Amino acid sequence: MIHCQNVWYSYDGINPVLQEINLKIMDGDFVGIMGENGAGKTTLVKLFNGLLKPAKGEIFINQKNIKTLSVAELSRIIGFVFQNSDHQIFSRTVAEEIGFILKNFKYDPSEIQVRIEEILKQFNLEQYKEQSPFLLSGGERKRVALASILCAHPEILILDEPTIGQDAIEKKKLIELLRELNRNGVTIIIITHDLEFTAEYIPRCILMSKGELIADGPTKYILTSEQCLKEASLVEPQLAHLSHILKFDKSLLSIEEMKTKILEYIGGAR
Amino acid sequence: MKDSVIHNLDPRTKLYFAVIITIISLCFNEIIPLTIIFLFLVPLFKIGKIFTQWLNTLKGLVFLAVFIIIIDTLFISFNLGVAMSIRLLVLISSFSLFFLTVHPDDFSQSLIQIKVPFSFAFALSLAIRFVPTLAQEAQNVREAQMVRGLELQKGNIIKKVRNFIPIIIPLIILSIQRALLIAESLESRGFGAVKQRTYLYPLKMKFKDFFIIGILTFFLVSIIILLLTGLLPDWLHFHLPF
Amino acid sequence: MGHISISNLSFQYAKNTTPALRNINLEIKDGDFILLSGPTGCGKTTLCRCITGLIPNFHMGFMEGQITVDGLNTLQNPVYEIAKKVGMVFQNPENQLIAMNVERELGFALENLGVPSEKIRAKIETIINQFQLNHLRMKAPYELSGGEQQRIAIASVLTLDPDILILDEPTSNLDPAAAEKMMHFLKELNSTYQKTIILIEHRLELVVPLINRMLIMDHGEIILDGPPEEVLLDEKILHINIGLPKMIQLYKDLKEAGLHFEKVPLTPTEFAQEIQRIKSI
Repeated sequence: MIHCQNVWYSYDGINPVLQEINLKIMDGDFVGIMGENGAGKTTLVKLFNGLLKPAKGEIFINQKNIKTLSVAELSRIIGFVFQNSDHQIFSRTVAEEIGFILKNFKYDPSEIQVRIEEILKQFNLEQYKEQSPFLLSGGERKRVALASILCAHPEILILDEPTIGQDAIEKKKLIELLRELNRNGVTIIIITHDLEFTAEYIPRCILMSKGELIADGPTKYILTSEQCLKEASLVEPQLAHLSHILKFDKSLLSIEEMKTKILEYIGGAR
Repeated sequence: MKDSVIHNLDPRTKLYFAVIITIISLCFNEIIPLTIIFLFLVPLFKIGKIFTQWLNTLKGLVFLAVFIIIIDTLFISFNLGVAMSIRLLVLISSFSLFFLTVHPDDFSQSLIQIKVPFSFAFALSLAIRFVPTLAQEAQNVREAQMVRGLELQKGNIIKKVRNFIPIIIPLIILSIQRALLIAESLESRGFGAVKQRTYLYPLKMKFKDFFIIGILTFFLVSIIILLLTGLLPDWLHFHLPF
Repeated sequence: MGHISISNLSFQYAKNTTPALRNINLEIKDGDFILLSGPTGCGKTTLCRCITGLIPNFHMGFMEGQITVDGLNTLQNPVYEIAKKVGMVFQNPENQLIAMNVERELGFALENLGVPSEKIRAKIETIINQFQLNHLRMKAPYELSGGEQQRIAIASVLTLDPDILILDEPTSNLDPAAAEKMMHFLKELNSTYQKTIILIEHRLELVVPLINRMLIMDHGEIILDGPPEEVLLDEKILHINIGLPKMIQLYKDLKEAGLHFEKVPLTPTEFAQEIQRIKSI
């Protein structure tokens, strides 16, 4: 569990980038964080894994105050996948790249081999095991980057804008993977701009604007609340917008539900 | 960038100034003449409103200056050590004046107008333009590796050097990727289309520039003549004991 | 003016073993606002590089076929000549803004072509006024927001007065509000300034209401080409890995359930109108 108590952060000591953040993310949650550029989303998650330290307030992870913990220590619990996979790829082989985190965490060499094999299989990267990661395509490199974090079996997984530039199939594969991890107890936190993606796949949504938390709750209520969306400079997802115009119960967000509601509204078809 | 008499001079004038001061300071090996040149520079930084920045530059040179004094004292003389460290301060200061009062845009423009090939001057200005971007990228790479357990603080010197590889390699790859993307963008905006490229804000030398260049040239020539004819006063050759 | 003619175009990158483009035949008309989409690797960016002449002049490979842009054959003309007809804006504005401030950025392309400096300054003023960029004039690239950076990248390409503008996923790095602003800006360029626009984008719902034509590619070929209402409902699109906009998915489900729509709704507003119309019958 991640617990933020009245957290403030500022880069220059004068202008606050995060203000009065009070937040609880429970084990097994699946959360999306949305908001305009500069709202503080990335800053917030960097406080979770120690890359930044709060100016004011406390953060507890699994009931422990993380003030004194280093990034390396926190990274054992929290996996962080950055937006650009090319920010991390440097090894001679894909296997080495994936094993890097396990080496740093001083895992047993035999255990490292086992985990590498496991994760290569899971991500369909077996054929590339001894290849240079630089020769892989963009999408494959993204998978390597994700694999290189997941092989350490983190309790909490944070992803920064994982869907940028991805086509529908890639997004679907990603969400399937994340859902499976979530079913196995991994807490998932995603920062994203993709409204439709969040609306369709992510159960809990946190909205931020200008360093403050504006809303936090089930996606189907958050992304249909006009006020929340306005404050966060977001537009309604399409189905929610349609719901709104037709004056339906605004928490409808799936196509099936929408279809049923419309047929009811019209008074039955055929 | 601030505004002052010095700032308003053409960058080429300031470049010429730095070169002339360099030559003049190379003509002398003694303390007094070099100190005179140095003292002559001091008011210029005041006029240019960059006094504090210049002092900071000098602060950075203290270590090197002391090192020079020590080495020279051991092998030749204390006198030479002091003289050489003053010369160091003079050389660095004269180019400092250029870099502190020339806007980066005008910097590459000035190089172009002294016939440095455009590609070279442009590469230089691109480098300057991308410094903040690269700094941010380096930070991103650092963080991306830190969350994989990379320890940058701990370990002996060998470990620390080894731990740089996961930072340097992505940075190099990213820079190469970026270079290709920039090149593509440049190509689609006509880069290299015409041999005679035009410039939005070409630099124009004004009367005050030519005047200063004239004065500097006069000084240089006079000093060289005085040196060659041995007509310099004796007290200039004052030596410290040892 | 703004016309592109492509016949039997095939291309394979020098470093690849499979062709990136296979026998493309395409006519793009003046004033078209085209959405070009398809799964990753389908050849969208490659096709656009061919149109601008970057292929074969910048990217090495084997090219067959012919492309004519406003009468200029891309194989026989240098990129900078074609740049006067087609402007291309890439995904990340950070790698396109090379100057220290917006003014110089806008002047860059014309400087490259050797245009006299007074003319350059006049053109910069025109562009700044047209697109309300005055408050950004002296700003450095890192002082601009993502959306502003993209606008400047587009404006700097427009200084050459191309009639055609190609944009490769310009909203990738933008938040939803900025992305919407960008779309309106592009619509304005198309309707008010009569630019032919080719837009590569994955998120179809953002773009579909604004365009008059949709091109779907897969494995280097053009699979579908037509008005969005037709393309999105074509059976072939189901075999390609792209996500259909929610409105279309809903439309298809309801049609199957027996509802009769007069037109294909591309936005929630249009959809609601159709539903109300059906209800009132």
